[in-house]
Amino acid sequence: MSRDVATAIRNQAVDDKQQRSLTAWGFLAPYGIAVVLLVALPALLNVAYAFTDHTGLTRDPQFIGLANVRRLGSDSFLVDSLEASLFHVALSVPLRMLAAVGLGLLFAAPRPGGRWFRAAVYLPTVIPDVALAVLFLWVLNPLYGPLNQLLGLFGHPGFNWLAEPTTARIGVVLMLLFPIGEGFLVVLATRRLLNARLYEAAALEGCGPFGQLRRLTLPMLAPVLVLLAVRDTILTLQVNFVPAYVLTDGRPANATLYLPVYIFDHAFEFSGFAYAALITIVLMAVTATIIVAQLLVVRRWRVLR
Amino acid sequence: MTAARSDRPVTAMGIGLYGLTKSYGSVCALDGVDLEISAGELVTLVGPSGSGKSTILRLIAGLDRPDAGRIEVGGVDVTVTPPHRRAVAMVFQDYALYPHLTVHGNLSFGLRVRKIPREQADRQVRAAAQRLGIEDVLDRHPDEMSGGQRQRVALARAVVREPKVYLLDEPLASLDAQLRVATRTDLLALHRELSTTTIHVTHDQAEAMTLGDRVVVLEAGRVRQSGPPQEVYDEPVDTFVAGFLGSPPMNLVPGGGVLGGGPGEIVGVRPEDLLLESDGPILARVEAVEALGSETVVVARCGDGTVLATRTGPRSRARPGDTVRLRIGDPGRLHRFDAGTGRRR
Repeated sequence: MSRDVATAIRNQAVDDKQQRSLTAWGFLAPYGIAVVLLVALPALLNVAYAFTDHTGLTRDPQFIGLANVRRLGSDSFLVDSLEASLFHVALSVPLRMLAAVGLGLLFAAPRPGGRWFRAAVYLPTVIPDVALAVLFLWVLNPLYGPLNQLLGLFGHPGFNWLAEPTTARIGVVLMLLFPIGEGFLVVLATRRLLNARLYEAAALEGCGPFGQLRRLTLPMLAPVLVLLAVRDTILTLQVNFVPAYVLTDGRPANATLYLPVYIFDHAFEFSGFAYAALITIVLMAVTATIIVAQLLVVRRWRVLR
Repeated sequence: MTAARSDRPVTAMGIGLYGLTKSYGSVCALDGVDLEISAGELVTLVGPSGSGKSTILRLIAGLDRPDAGRIEVGGVDVTVTPPHRRAVAMVFQDYALYPHLTVHGNLSFGLRVRKIPREQADRQVRAAAQRLGIEDVLDRHPDEMSGGQRQRVALARAVVREPKVYLLDEPLASLDAQLRVATRTDLLALHRELSTTTIHVTHDQAEAMTLGDRVVVLEAGRVRQSGPPQEVYDEPVDTFVAGFLGSPPMNLVPGGGVLGGGPGEIVGVRPEDLLLESDGPILARVEAVEALGSETVVVARCGDGTVLATRTGPRSRARPGDTVRLRIGDPGRLHRFDAGTGRRR
């Protein structure tokens, strides 16, 4: 009798468990289906297309083996594109991090008018990329742009920003230095979570503001900083598409022909859909390599516990 | 108001607070506090929340500046001296251990800031860790330790500084009851060993009674009474102190009532000075009985509505609803206060 009851209870428990996991899968399903249909499947298709002669216009792409890969090796535009992207990420990620962390820490403490400053820092993030780019066409204008006028105040003749390769790249970096709202918010929120007592304890030990920044704030923010650096690397390699398209269209001398721009050109302007697909894989490989390098440095320096 | 003095003379490394006033916004935290503490003395500041206990510590530490008044450490005016030049070490209630550093890192933090050579720092850290019995957790992080261990690390971090003054802000408040009693004993032993001037803040009156050479009762930013714990307990200067120290608190009867007395005074008697006796003169009905194991607290209501608490031995046979008779053990142990000012008469 009691064994029957025990069995019944066990069966009931198993049923409950199955019921629960069924419910869980039910809730996960919409997201799972979307991920499969909108992300995983296209990504797999993308890999498949990379080994075909697909133009994006015809219906029956033919498998052509490693022909596209061989083409990569002799593509001097790709070299320019890689160089432009690496230049951008090398300059943009540290500067954006510096701006987000600096402003986040500066405005984390309550100060008069703080909310207006915080809103001002976040504002460029909600402006559409294209609008910001059009604004920067004016900012960087060599004749009447405010940036050259500002340089003029210091007796500098100014630059022909978008006409010179290096200054064009710097112009794009400058523009992308403004939409840093998410990183700013994350740093600000994390800093506010840190225990004020720790800073008082440090002050009692003779630790001044810079000591506190170096010995307390930055080490305690480290996990968040690593996260932001990885995220910004992924982001920065991709978001330079809009400024490059609006400001320079990849010019001058391919200086701003960033990988996303080059991919777009091949896919939608040169009817080289398959080749573009292959370059997206290159972009992914570049991104992954940089992130792995970052994480190796993080581990080497023991930034995280 | 004259400074509340201890018996010992104020010598070098004692602390003097003179007319200390501090407000946070519209809230007055300290209202003219005068207090002198001799070198090597262990003083306990006790009072309800918001009485200004922690504010006094923060002002002595230099974490806040007083609005008015003077702070002396060792006869030197340190009112505007930055915190790290004051040779004081503070232990916070939540310990404020650096979460990203190991215990060793926590203890050596200040030494590294002051650029003490690594070997010497290591020696000092190990000595302090040994003193507090935490040598075997030096490479752990704070979140890998128990509350008691963390508390010891916080104390060790203060000891490493070799300060002239220890400021302990409710260091035992976050510990469970058993550990608190054990640590209280350790704290006393540590103070005896180091004999460094120590100010200990608490709102736990048992701690206040057992821990200090002297207890200072604060209320609303003012010193109400200062003296050896037993003296403050036996001779409270006013009704506030009488009601604050002791558990259950002193029975205070306006007008005297059943305790005898006249209008214009408040008569008080400690529960232990009120005896349950079958031929006692005070008739009362038992309202509640709290058996605490080692003793029993009987709360009874007299005919005129006065509620009196009395402390008797364990296993009292009184039950709610019973009629009992009470007697004042020693009429000399009655306390008389002025009804208008609350001051002792």
